[in-house]
Amino acid sequence: MWRDLSIWATDWLAETRAIFSKEWRSELRTRYALNTVGLFAFTTLVVVSLSLGPAGTSAAARPFVPVLLWLILLFAASAGLPRTFVHEEESRTAIVLRLTARPSSLFCGKVLYNLTLLLAIQIVTVPLFLGMLQMPVQAPQQLVLALLVGGYGLAVGSTLIAAMVAQAQAKGPLFAVLAFPVLMPLLKFAIDATLGASATDAVLLDQASVALSLAVMYDLTLTVAGLMLFPVIWNP
Amino acid sequence: MRQVLPWILWLWISAVIWAALFYAPLSAGFAGLDGTSPQSSRIVFFHVPMAVASFFAFLAAAWWSVRYLMKRDMRYDHAATAAIEVGLVFCVLATVTGGVWAQVQWGAFWNWDPRQTSIALAILFYGAYATLRSAIEDPEVRARISAAYSALGFIVAPFLFFIMPRMASFSLHPKPASAEMAPEIGIVVVAGILGFTALFFWMQNLRCRVLALEAKLDDTWDD
Repeated sequence: MWRDLSIWATDWLAETRAIFSKEWRSELRTRYALNTVGLFAFTTLVVVSLSLGPAGTSAAARPFVPVLLWLILLFAASAGLPRTFVHEEESRTAIVLRLTARPSSLFCGKVLYNLTLLLAIQIVTVPLFLGMLQMPVQAPQQLVLALLVGGYGLAVGSTLIAAMVAQAQAKGPLFAVLAFPVLMPLLKFAIDATLGASATDAVLLDQASVALSLAVMYDLTLTVAGLMLFPVIWNP
Repeated sequence: MRQVLPWILWLWISAVIWAALFYAPLSAGFAGLDGTSPQSSRIVFFHVPMAVASFFAFLAAAWWSVRYLMKRDMRYDHAATAAIEVGLVFCVLATVTGGVWAQVQWGAFWNWDPRQTSIALAILFYGAYATLRSAIEDPEVRARISAAYSALGFIVAPFLFFIMPRMASFSLHPKPASAEMAPEIGIVVVAGILGFTALFFWMQNLRCRVLALEAKLDDTWDD
């Protein structure tokens, strides 16, 4: 029995890795998602910074800075991430995927791809954001954790919603409508957690660590929900 | 029996309305901001039952959605859709009555009180559900995807209804146990909850039958 299980696990891992590397290979051919998400984030960042200036330096404006950061990340994600599944349906490759890959490994492969894509975007935009808005960072590890946990939730939620949207007609606007209510609690937690990175007083720090653990819980919930619901969404 | 039930419901709701206006005493805790008469507290007999009914609506919708995913029977899809459509009406009405009351009691229609946050997210979620349905033409695909979305809503709902409200350090909504009120008020509220929940299921049943007829009509047109 253990041997069966280990064979199954090796197969599953190989499939997930195949999906993941296939996603990145086809992405690197066109760099469509990287360009869309990256430029979207950069353009909004420029607009925000241009109109607000160094908002992070004033104590009154500081609570708004993480909100702006996460709004930028959310909108950038919603511009590029739905493509993972929409593209499969449009180029009619979805049927091949349905035949060859297990839903769970397909889901995990796509989540990993979306996560790495988001993290790549974050690595470029977040330092720029911090510099342009001059947000002070007292606890860098808190910031990194908030970005990782929030980014993971964004990736899982977007992958799941993208799979739904791919089978509907008006795909572009529908993604935002469906994804925002699901991602809203996560964003609230992520914003509170990010706020803790630039806070010095104990109350805010305490709130931020609570928000971070809630965000982890939300990530886990979304992952379980995704693994349960994805096979139903994916297979007709 | 089928013909009698709506009349019993009609009588029940009429009795609740009468009791809300004439039987239940006013509670002094709900005087207006400027110290005027607490007549505004009577809205509680409609606001609370509608909020509770909309909660049951979404619970029922999640149940029927999961049933659909397990059995793939279109009747469950109709039941879930009808529940969300009618539930959304109850939800909006609960929000509006709450807003009116909040204006009198707290001086603002909206202030992101935790419960207001949860209900606003619920409205968004189920509004998105309706949008999703209108964007898919094939009935089978529509049923499957929207059932999955509704199930997803049910899975994340504890965060909306139980965890996010706890995060806020305060709520202007009174806690049911701590609110001091005359027993008569409690009786009318419970009667209202029963009446409005029954009203919801009656309306949901009607809508469900209409949906079934529409589906049948579509089938005949196709043949």
